[in-house]
Amino acid sequence: MTIGHFLVLSAVLFGIGIVGVLMRRNALIVMMSIELMLNAANIALIAFARQHGDMAGHAFAFVVIAVAAAEAAVGLAIVVAVFRNRRQVNVDELTALRH
Amino acid sequence: MEGTGPVEALLFWLFALLTVGGSLFVITRRNLVAATMGLVGTFFAIAAVYVMLFAHFLAAIQVLVYAGAVMVLFVFVVMILNREEDEPWALSGLAGKGVATVALVYLLVRVGQVLWRVREAAPAALEAVNGHEFGTTRALGSTLFRSYLFPFEAVSVVLLVAVVGAIAVARPTRRHAEQEDAR
Repeated sequence: MTIGHFLVLSAVLFGIGIVGVLMRRNALIVMMSIELMLNAANIALIAFARQHGDMAGHAFAFVVIAVAAAEAAVGLAIVVAVFRNRRQVNVDELTALRH
Repeated sequence: MEGTGPVEALLFWLFALLTVGGSLFVITRRNLVAATMGLVGTFFAIAAVYVMLFAHFLAAIQVLVYAGAVMVLFVFVVMILNREEDEPWALSGLAGKGVATVALVYLLVRVGQVLWRVREAAPAALEAVNGHEFGTTRALGSTLFRSYLFPFEAVSVVLLVAVVGAIAVARPTRRHAEQEDAR
């Protein structure tokens, strides 16, 4: 096991998250893909922390997890509010903010 | 040297396969509940990867916060929306999809280049980390409260604001309640 293995796993997970955000039209799947990307970043942070024997990476990963939880709470609340107003969560149809 | 034996390699490939397979499951399902369950499996596999990286406390947090709290949120919202099916892949806007694909390939090539350089520069295997303290709750707490106290407190404020904001956004207004009654 080298750090490269974990970094490749992180990159693959991040790529899958990007594909999910770009290709899926359901707002909930888009949010799940964002969670996947945040987890990919966490794997990279913790792998580097292990390589350097430095706990700072763990502290950053801890902060990322907390902020991701906050983002999920607010994002899902927005999805519920949008669904209540528009009766759908297709991100292609939600163009109210388009200039 | 810990963490470099064949058993560890086997476990790494198992959990990496579970992680990638679970995430692919998430982005390909039509059924939202199935996608959410795939996400739960992915998070458990990622927690196992954290354990392999000597991040025991973060693995526990991953299971508690992600596989527990965040997943419950997702399942609740899926149930509230109550939409069984969802189109799997968007067919409209083919030009946009082409640009997205090119951008993705470019990103993956660049990431591959960076990873290649990293592996050339640091070919050494992961070594056993210094001491038995690394990754424990005690070590992480010490790091958080000594070096990163301000980010820790800022995160607590962010969480408070997020909870209040989520309630404020999702709460039905008087107009919506009347509409629901009329319906």
